[in-house]
Amino acid sequence: MTAPGAAPDVVFEDVSKFYGEVLGVNKVTLHIPAGITSLVGPNGSGKTTLMNLMTGLIHPDRGAIAVRGLSPRDPESLMRITGYATQFDSAPRWATGMDFVATGLALYGYNRAESRELAWKALEQVSLTDAADRKVAGYSKGMRQRVRLAQAIAHDPPVLVLDEPLNGLDPLVRAETIDLFRHYAAQGRHVILSSHVLQEVDVISDQVILIANGMIVAEGEIRNVRDEMVEHPSQFIIRCRDASRIASLLFNESHVTEIRMNDDRLGLLVMTRDREEFSRALTRVAVAGHVIDGVIPADENVDALYEYLIGGRS
Amino acid sequence: MAVYKRGYERYDGPLTSHTTRLLAMPRFAWARLMDQKLVVILLALSMLWPLLCGGFIYLANHLSLLQGFGGKDLGKMVEINGKFFLIFMNTQAVFSVLLAALTGPGLIAPDLANNALPLYFSRPLTRLDYIGARMAVLVALLSMITWIPGSVLFVMQSSMAGRTWFAANWHLGGAIVGGFLLRIALLSMVALTCSAWVKWRIVAGALVLGFFFILAGVSQMINAILRVEFGSLFNPSRAMYIIWSAMLGVEAPSGPTAWECVSVLAGLVVVLAMILERKLRPVEVIS
Repeated sequence: MTAPGAAPDVVFEDVSKFYGEVLGVNKVTLHIPAGITSLVGPNGSGKTTLMNLMTGLIHPDRGAIAVRGLSPRDPESLMRITGYATQFDSAPRWATGMDFVATGLALYGYNRAESRELAWKALEQVSLTDAADRKVAGYSKGMRQRVRLAQAIAHDPPVLVLDEPLNGLDPLVRAETIDLFRHYAAQGRHVILSSHVLQEVDVISDQVILIANGMIVAEGEIRNVRDEMVEHPSQFIIRCRDASRIASLLFNESHVTEIRMNDDRLGLLVMTRDREEFSRALTRVAVAGHVIDGVIPADENVDALYEYLIGGRS
Repeated sequence: MAVYKRGYERYDGPLTSHTTRLLAMPRFAWARLMDQKLVVILLALSMLWPLLCGGFIYLANHLSLLQGFGGKDLGKMVEINGKFFLIFMNTQAVFSVLLAALTGPGLIAPDLANNALPLYFSRPLTRLDYIGARMAVLVALLSMITWIPGSVLFVMQSSMAGRTWFAANWHLGGAIVGGFLLRIALLSMVALTCSAWVKWRIVAGALVLGFFFILAGVSQMINAILRVEFGSLFNPSRAMYIIWSAMLGVEAPSGPTAWECVSVLAGLVVVLAMILERKLRPVEVIS
């Protein structure tokens, strides 16, 4: 199979995958750049199918995939640049954390000494060195999640594919893990993850891919995606002292569809169909002498995008 | 647009060979098998018959020790030939089925039950590598009780009986090794397929035993009801016995020829390989 494009992106070109008569993903075309990319969608939407496709665990019925120029049909090359942590808790209970990660490295071709050294480093990165020599059977859910992450990062891959990597982590480890992802992204690596925690996705992602029923609903940087959604008025929170006066001024603007006053009367929630016009209107309000303490976009987040594009909660 | 520092460099030192990488899998599986008391006990029991046969060979070549027990007549009875090795192989074959039923299911079934296949297949490994690595465990284990002791007995007999015996029976060595390897290949495929078919180890073990015993029963029913002999083709153990007889130059029992048996067993292995290929999916396939 010819790999589409040799750019260092993860590329899906018109990819479809069916499990018999059940749709996995349909006509997916994506260019995922380096950085942190989150796959967001309800259960059964096709997130894991996308991850399995890009790691070559399954192959598309139609279309082509390239991971940094490599075809997923060539595991010998692809798996050297890819680290995959599935959602399954599949570490063998009889193995110690160190054995589990080091054995994985041995399968990559590292000799015993290097395997143990790299395994130790990986366990260090997920703060699991204290439990390295304990059997996985005795690990808590969070520890098993971390050892799963350790086996994915141990061979230092430029592409990390992580299915629900933050599930079960306590807040401290969660923050450390997010820092780790950011560190990887800053080095120009791909960190592609799926998550149900939308607030988290919002905080950590450089770009999001919203998927529903096996089809890509939206992709890109959250703000850009929001900009494209003209049918949903943008929402802004304005913090100001003269809320009722500013509200009456903004009501004269044709692009403003709704204004809600805060209970403390020190703020407004404004809905507008035209962000640029709204920006100009705010400038006019300020020039007219009204004090505006701050303007915050209220729906430039994955939560809102999810609500608008997919509907309901994840 | 984020600006990324492209500052990190990956390990680019030497890597071990493909074969060495694959050995990482059997290493742990082997260690775990040896931790099971039942496996060790069965292995030890499997060594008894080769030891007895070894003693037999020794006595057959030192008839003077049997003078007081009518040694000359006994000498005719304990002739070491193809038939002797056929009996040896047939007995070891029973142990090999038991050992395969005990150890085979633990090789793939737990990986399927734990959804661990993605862990393997997200390494530079193919499905064939995985099966090969799993099969290596069974091949090593079954070799310990089949062709290795068989070869030892053959070498022992050759060294004791001298050149004349060796010149007349050299083909027995190849037949022992080749015959047992065929048996191991069949057994490994049956055990791995059962292990991949059923996620529960005990059920998979029962399935391995059932495969041999039920097919033996079915073949006898076919022969009895239809008053034919080709039913033996459906009994893998019987078919293997016929092949071994031919390889060892022993008069084969009536029924299908060795080549017919080879064809049927080869077909069976192909079917098992297809089932294995279908069941060994790295991800759960919804249907």
